[in-house]
Amino acid sequence: MSERSLRANLLRMLLPPIAAVLALGAVVAYFPSIEPATEAYDQALVDVGVSLGSYIRGSQAGYRFDLPPAVEQVLRRDRFDTVYYRVISPGGQDIAGEAGLPGPPPEKDAREGLVRYDTRVRGDDVRAVSVQAPCGRSTCTVLVAETTVKRSRLAREILVSSLFPELLIAAATLVIVWFGVKRGLRPLARLSEEIKARSPGDLRPIEAAGPEETRPLVAALNGLLNEVAQASRSQQRFLADAAHQLRTPLAGLQAHTELALAQPLPEACRAQIEQVHEATIRTARLANQLLALARAEPGARGAAAECDLKALAGASADEWVHQALARELDLGFELEAAPVRGDPLLLREALANLVHNAIAYSPPGGRITVRTGKRDARSFVEVEDDGPGIPPGERARVLERFYRVPGTPGTGSGLGLAIVHEIAAGHGASLTLGEGAQGRGCRVGITFAHG
Amino acid sequence: MRLLIVEDDAPLATGLSRILAAEGHAVDVTSRGEAAVAAASRERFDLVILDIGLPQMDGFEVLRRLRAAQEEKGAPVPVLVLTARDAIDDRVRGLDLGADDYMVKPFAMPELTARVRALLRRSQAHAGPRMVHGPLTLDMVARRAFLKNESLELAAREWAVLEVLLARVEKIVSKEAIIQAVAGWGDELSPNAIEVYVSRLRSKLEPAGVRIRTVRGFGYMLEEYKDS
Repeated sequence: MSERSLRANLLRMLLPPIAAVLALGAVVAYFPSIEPATEAYDQALVDVGVSLGSYIRGSQAGYRFDLPPAVEQVLRRDRFDTVYYRVISPGGQDIAGEAGLPGPPPEKDAREGLVRYDTRVRGDDVRAVSVQAPCGRSTCTVLVAETTVKRSRLAREILVSSLFPELLIAAATLVIVWFGVKRGLRPLARLSEEIKARSPGDLRPIEAAGPEETRPLVAALNGLLNEVAQASRSQQRFLADAAHQLRTPLAGLQAHTELALAQPLPEACRAQIEQVHEATIRTARLANQLLALARAEPGARGAAAECDLKALAGASADEWVHQALARELDLGFELEAAPVRGDPLLLREALANLVHNAIAYSPPGGRITVRTGKRDARSFVEVEDDGPGIPPGERARVLERFYRVPGTPGTGSGLGLAIVHEIAAGHGASLTLGEGAQGRGCRVGITFAHG
Repeated sequence: MRLLIVEDDAPLATGLSRILAAEGHAVDVTSRGEAAVAAASRERFDLVILDIGLPQMDGFEVLRRLRAAQEEKGAPVPVLVLTARDAIDDRVRGLDLGADDYMVKPFAMPELTARVRALLRRSQAHAGPRMVHGPLTLDMVARRAFLKNESLELAAREWAVLEVLLARVEKIVSKEAIIQAVAGWGDELSPNAIEVYVSRLRSKLEPAGVRIRTVRGFGYMLEEYKDS
């Protein structure tokens, strides 16, 4: 019951009572109308009986029945039914007609002289009347019967003509229910549209508009949203605290190892402090990336906002250009408007990871281009370099956390692209890895589903 | 130069202060926002390095009070904000409140010292009615330029472009930002026109070692002047 559609359920529940009402309606309409209709036919039979009675001649010798052939013909000329008659003397002898036509059943043997009844002649159902006709000083009995073709046809016609409007009403009822349910459920459809249209991080309560019946649902949903939002807020708070607690001592550690290295040191000691310094830098970067990864998790994302990849890239351009210059790289931009809806912090993180990868893996003198814009009405950002690139066979694996292409120089954690991948997925965007221009270098792009 | 470090993490504060002292600066350290505001009102600092995550009075509040106090005195002290949080709001809020630069912990010390130097140079260039960059001097009052103490002829538009770049020396400036700053008289300026002014400036300045770098597809940067 619960898995099927409401409409189907409602129709299934409505069909039996509608069918019952239909049947009852037919019965109620049929019997009152069949009675007067058959009454007219009976009356015609009675008329025939009375007129047949007038042809009985009674005398001392007995009774005669002289039916003129013309009358006989008229009697037989019915288009549909066969007419039988039987004339019985007061003494009970057959005078004329069909001897096989049974008389009225004893319980109907009424004194007033007119009886109607159903019986059978020669294997056919017939409607019969028994009429008392004066013959001499006594009374003869005339039985007239006809087969029931006309009557059945009439009954059928009455039935059909009374059923037809009822069927129409039933059909109309079903159609009204079908569309009425759809219409009645429109607030629910609107509600689901509204929820569907939300961006993943949007946990604001749903507006409680709509009919009374949907309000408990909205209230329950809002309760749930509120709980999720609270969990998300506390997760974000935790990450902010964790970031602070982790980064500040790391910054201190880094400052002191650098200070130590700036002093004259015994060789063995210097090597050790250099190791500590390297490890500190790696740890710092790892902490940053793990925090970024945790922030990209569904529960920790910030509220989505309208932003522009062009503006996000532009805001970080200065920082990136200085990093690129420090490694003697030519970092350039081709920025066109690329509006997207998302978490600006995460989007910036994704962009920064792509640019940092290009900077880290390009040999000195290399050329890096950051591009934003729209293609086929979809916003995109891509970073292209002419460095070593990623071999096609490795492209799927580099998206895994902590995976590094074997033989890659440097001390990367193998998290950069995994973070980008996670952030892209969280925004319903796709991440593509390919070659740069002329099949050289690397081109990594994020294409959004919207623009 | 006289620097004030406002940082509550003792190891980091001492590390920073020793590194900057080694660069030849006089460094004061405090771990509390209230003390920082008091010190800045008493004495003149050339740069404040301010941590956002301070106990009690946080860095934003310190920044707001520093800027409010300076509005009366003039000559704003450059502020480099440090934060361990990377919430974008922090960055925007910090820059809105008048921070001059922004760094997320942990950072490499050479990067910090480079930023400190750039901030100091920028604020020195602005000091008084003159902007100075190596051998280049712009007299803002007389609107005259000098290169190696010789008068330098600059067209009005060239002057305007150079002024924008000099105000943000060592920072990249987008073409749009240059157009906005230069086309202040209601006329249209194409990006191509900016290229023309920059190329004229280059031919005048490069012989003296003042370099304008092109950032492909973005804009320009007046590079740090290095005495060769």
